[in-house]
Amino acid sequence: MAVFDTPQEAFGALRPACVQLTRAQTMENVARLQAHLAAVSASALQELQEYVLFPLRFALKVPGPKQERLVQSVVQCISSVLAATCVKKQDLLQELFSELCTCLSPPSSSSNPVPLSEELKLAVIQALHTLMHSAYGDVIWSLYQPSALPLLGFAVSLLLGLAEQEKAKQIKISALKCLQVLVLQCDCQEHRHLDEDEAQQCGDLFASFLPGISITLSRVITGDIKQGHKSTVSAIRLFYLIVGLVMADAQLARIAKNKEKLPVEESRISELMVHRGPDWSKSTAEKLSLLLRKMVEFSSVHPHWKVRLELMELVHHLLRNCSQSLVDSFSHLLKALVGLVNDENSEVQSRCKEVLQGIAEQRIVAQNRALADVLSENLHSLATALPRLMNSLDDTGKVSTLSLLLGYLKLLGPKINIVLNSISHLHRLSKALMQVLELDVTDVKIVEDRRCEGVCGPSGSLQHGAQKGRCQKKYFRFFTEEKIFQLLQQVCRVLGYYGNLYLLVDHFMGLYGESGMYRKQAAMVLNELIAGAAGVGVDVLQEREVSLNVDDLKGSIMSILDEYTDQANWYLITSIDTEEISHEHSVQHSGLTARPGGACSSVLLPSPEPHITTRTMNSNIWQICIQLEGVGCFAAVLGKEFRLLLLSALYPVLEKAGDKTLLISETALGTLVDICKACSYDSLQCLINENSDYLVNGISLNLRQLAHQPHASQVLDTMLRHSDASLLPLVEDVIQDVLSALDQSYNNQASTFLRVLHSVMTALVRWFESSCGEEHQQRQTPEWWSGTLSQGQQVVTRQEVEQFFLDYVRQKQIAEGNLPDTGDEEADEVLPLAEPEPNNSDTEGETPLPSHAQLAKDVMERCIHLLSDGNLRVRLKVLDVLELCVTALHPHGNHLLPMAHRVWPALVTRLISDDPLAVLRAFKVLCTLAQKCGDFLRQRFSKDVLPKLTSSLLSQAPASARAGPVYNHTLAFKLQLAVLQGLGSLCEKLDMGESDLNKVADACLIYLSAKQPMKLQEAAQSVFLHLMHVDPDSTWLLLNEVCCPHQYEPPHISLRPVKLSGMGRQRNEFTDNVLLLLEKLQQQESVMQQESVMPQAGTQEASPP
Amino acid sequence: MALPPPDPQFVLRGTSAAVHTLHFSCGGQEPDVPTLFSGSENGFIHVWNLKTHRVNTELDGHGRKSVYCVETIGSKNRLLSQGRDQRICLWDLAEGRTSVTDSVFTENVGFCRCSLLKVAQGRWLVAMAAKALEEVQVLELPSKTSVCTLKPEVGAKLGMPMCLKLWQLNCGSQPLLLAGYEDGSVVLWNLSMGKVLSQLVCHQEPVMSLDFDSEKAKGISGSSEKVLSIWSLNEQQNLQVYKTHKLVNAGISDITIRPDKKILATAGWDHRIRIFGWKKLKPLAVLNYHTATVHCVSFSDHKNPSERLLAAGSKDHRISIWSIYTQT
Repeated sequence: MAVFDTPQEAFGALRPACVQLTRAQTMENVARLQAHLAAVSASALQELQEYVLFPLRFALKVPGPKQERLVQSVVQCISSVLAATCVKKQDLLQELFSELCTCLSPPSSSSNPVPLSEELKLAVIQALHTLMHSAYGDVIWSLYQPSALPLLGFAVSLLLGLAEQEKAKQIKISALKCLQVLVLQCDCQEHRHLDEDEAQQCGDLFASFLPGISITLSRVITGDIKQGHKSTVSAIRLFYLIVGLVMADAQLARIAKNKEKLPVEESRISELMVHRGPDWSKSTAEKLSLLLRKMVEFSSVHPHWKVRLELMELVHHLLRNCSQSLVDSFSHLLKALVGLVNDENSEVQSRCKEVLQGIAEQRIVAQNRALADVLSENLHSLATALPRLMNSLDDTGKVSTLSLLLGYLKLLGPKINIVLNSISHLHRLSKALMQVLELDVTDVKIVEDRRCEGVCGPSGSLQHGAQKGRCQKKYFRFFTEEKIFQLLQQVCRVLGYYGNLYLLVDHFMGLYGESGMYRKQAAMVLNELIAGAAGVGVDVLQEREVSLNVDDLKGSIMSILDEYTDQANWYLITSIDTEEISHEHSVQHSGLTARPGGACSSVLLPSPEPHITTRTMNSNIWQICIQLEGVGCFAAVLGKEFRLLLLSALYPVLEKAGDKTLLISETALGTLVDICKACSYDSLQCLINENSDYLVNGISLNLRQLAHQPHASQVLDTMLRHSDASLLPLVEDVIQDVLSALDQSYNNQASTFLRVLHSVMTALVRWFESSCGEEHQQRQTPEWWSGTLSQGQQVVTRQEVEQFFLDYVRQKQIAEGNLPDTGDEEADEVLPLAEPEPNNSDTEGETPLPSHAQLAKDVMERCIHLLSDGNLRVRLKVLDVLELCVTALHPHGNHLLPMAHRVWPALVTRLISDDPLAVLRAFKVLCTLAQKCGDFLRQRFSKDVLPKLTSSLLSQAPASARAGPVYNHTLAFKLQLAVLQGLGSLCEKLDMGESDLNKVADACLIYLSAKQPMKLQEAAQSVFLHLMHVDPDSTWLLLNEVCCPHQYEPPHISLRPVKLSGMGRQRNEFTDNVLLLLEKLQQQESVMQQESVMPQAGTQEASPP
Repeated sequence: MALPPPDPQFVLRGTSAAVHTLHFSCGGQEPDVPTLFSGSENGFIHVWNLKTHRVNTELDGHGRKSVYCVETIGSKNRLLSQGRDQRICLWDLAEGRTSVTDSVFTENVGFCRCSLLKVAQGRWLVAMAAKALEEVQVLELPSKTSVCTLKPEVGAKLGMPMCLKLWQLNCGSQPLLLAGYEDGSVVLWNLSMGKVLSQLVCHQEPVMSLDFDSEKAKGISGSSEKVLSIWSLNEQQNLQVYKTHKLVNAGISDITIRPDKKILATAGWDHRIRIFGWKKLKPLAVLNYHTATVHCVSFSDHKNPSERLLAAGSKDHRISIWSIYTQT
């Protein structure tokens, strides 16, 4: 299609159509004109604008009823003209505006107007829209003169009517858009920005429409959801734009007090104009507040996210422009805004955060006292309602309530102190936190879980414990979700970040001391406050005004630490273990302070409760844990500065690390790891070693107080557990203190000290294990060597049989007193045995005992006294310690043997006449002792103990043979088993004589019976296996006496046939076990035979000439 | 009812030898940490930081021979120490230095602690046992010029000087010296004339330690017997026995009157520290902590009375720090 670029050509093309349209206003003619218009260029059309518009306007103005469709096409045509051209004349603009508006209004004459078609309405609205856009800069301004107010008002009311009442979404939206253009707030970029004066003028003008617009829009916004989100969004936008314009703080500030007089001719108009004085703005704000509240309530829960997003924009816009004029509305607006922080839609969420950030950055709240008041008022009411809400809402509800609280605090930012300075606010807030954070203390397991002593290794248990301690979950009464706890944590941290730390710490310390009910929560809050104050893990919108003074922080931390570690708050009853309770009570009663810091404080002693429930104990455990966590948190906050506080803080934490309650000890370990990290120690061991002076000091001072002795021993225990041999020189001194303290109180504190001694000895054995082990092997080697040598001789060759008999004869002669002259052979035999002995004893006798062995010796000394303690538990513990002492002292035979000599009488008493439990334990000690001392004990053993053991084995045998499966769980069984299991190796170690071996064999033989419990049979077998090592021949004979599977043919006829009593016997209860043993003996012999060839060559090389 | 005796506030360990002498320096302002100097048998002087309770520096200047006297000269950066190597060393400790700036060879083989007195700005007198058995020599510091040598009259048979105390009534007046001798007598010397002003036999055994309160003109001395002797000085400069106090266990190795002259502390061979009221010698407390002879007691010079401390050094290698009667 040809395009007419010049006005002349265009005129030529358009003229016929225009003329025709003027003559007859028909659809066809309009359509033709429209078609021609399409072919005309914009510049050409601009020249012909009025010419073209004339017939169209004429068509509209023709009196009488018109066809709706005609009007519609005319209007469409007008708008296409306007879209391509600019309106440059004020008159034209106003006329067109009013003509178009008229199209919308039903003819006033008819009483019941026929509703216009929707298409027409849409066309007119669009035409108006286009008109507004085509109006030239200043030209459009003519519409916004006071004189044009009626016209404008007319258009506004028409459009509002459409927006409210129309059903069609399209019309609604278009009407709202058009209105937006009309109030000069169009979204598109083309418009000139209003300068201040113009804006002011518009504001004055639109103030007249404000009531109408706002009410209608609020109706639209709160209307049926079915209308679709778009119209709601548009309505919200229009609402905040117009309100933001009319109620802008900047404009209202410039309004003169009194209405200025307008010239007389405009007086009618001026009646329509509104004077935005203070009275007006106040009353308007009140009305708007009502509307806003309704809108916010409705749209903040609107299902469509775009509506919520737009709501946020509304808050943002109004907050930015009208924070003073609409201050009363902000309680609702901010609530909505803050509430949307956790919207399910991520876009809303992020925008909300942006908006909040923006508000904070612009310091809108910080600079506006009134707004801060609003916020604090909101906060107050929320805090008041919080406990109730937390009780009744579901988890999502709780989350949103708490995010609201958090949002208020964040928005308040540095203004938080306004809230905190008001007693009632602080009171409400803190009480709310106290109630919400209430822990659930009904879990019995926490009280039941005890630390298992000595099971897990030092390093392993640390890692494990630290991890467990860290992730120890708290159970709250009012909520279960972790997210809620995190929100509460944030609430406290934000408080700490902005708030006056002294005030807060003071207040919550007050609550801490006020009642046991609040103590745990208050401690939790205090911990978080400090973290927040240091800016750790706190998420805020704006920086605080004054950065934190480290000295202040340190001061607060020190006062909290003092309170936490105060006796009344640190030594709580956490178990019903009788011995512990008595200690704890004595602590509370004593009222004497002996703390590492030494600062004496008057203690408010809680009256000792007569009846302690699990609940109380659980609660106490949690309180200690929270306090421990606090210490860890303080360390993290202070970093290396915390090193100075270790003087007073480390001791109590270690004390708790040695606590028997699993949860406490694990939490304390976690705290220790935190401290390590904060103070940059490489490991827990470093921490302990480098601060051992503080700890040792604490231990030694506390040992002086009877009531604190258990704690001191716990600390020492923990130190030993988590450190290595390098600690020994540092604590040696204090271990001596422990020993001397023990010496002074054998009666009542023995069990406490035994625990320490036990851990000391365990540590010593662990640390010096390698040295013990080496020496052990050195000692063992020659024995084993000589053993194989002697056994090697047993290999039956003809010469050796001959030699054997010769030896036998000679021995017999010696035994009978006929001493032969000393030969070479004897010297040969003695030498290899004698050689290692002097070496050992000589060197040991001269060198002073290493400190650890000296300690072991000292401890062993105490054990001798305590072995006969009246309390069974003490005796059992002593036996354990004794065993460890023996192990530790083992490499130093010269010291061990005298000690063993001294221990012996007491030990024998335990073995012979004591509770079976003690006998069992004592027998174990005996086995260890035998292993370490060897034949030193032979005589005593065979004289003092063996008869008793064998007789008890014999007497018990019938009982166990008869017994059922339950017998396996009885003490008697365990005792039998232990004796049988230990007896074999005892015999071997002690190198027992023949008669004793026979006694043992006799006693054990009955246990080979198939009637005995399986375990006992196995144990008895083990005895015989050991006996085979010591004396294979006699064992063989003994077994064959019972049962002999083979016939032995003598190798020569001159020898008598072998006759063994076991031959040819019927199969009986012993047969199976005996055969098994004989088979093993056979194997052993054959292995020995094979080996005997090789090692003999080897021994010749190894043995010195 | 009387309160039970307190525990030490803290115990300092780590000298790894018997502690023979202690000296506080706590008068400084805030950034200055309170310090305690200790001299021990292995010849080391330890500088303790009383905030961290740890050794700041270790000074080794007496050839591993026992150090039995440590004093500060003016500030805590200048230190005087006396050891069994027969030397008195002067230390410069400013800015972390640990050097001996000067030393005096006393040639005395005993263990009599020297006594220091400030006589003017930058001028000190130090009295010490001299080479000859019965003599006391007084030097001026820092010039080390000899002021006088105090020789007892021939035939006095006082024996070796065991303890010395230089004092003056008030600033600018004549400095005097109180000396306790091996035969149990306390002698007041006039320094300028080098003459005995007064002599008083207080003990049957050697005088181990004495302290003197110039305000009340009263002094106290302890020996290896079971008696504390309090004596006074009248206007005619005559020493008179004022009172004696019986002890349960024999042997006092050190006596110190607190700077405020209200109480005094004794270091006993019976491992105990005893506290008495100075006015009437009323026994106030027996501090029981050490497990061996206590060698020395010292009161701190904190500006704030409530912070003041008592320290005691013992043969058991430990130094116990006590906070006692700070309220009175």
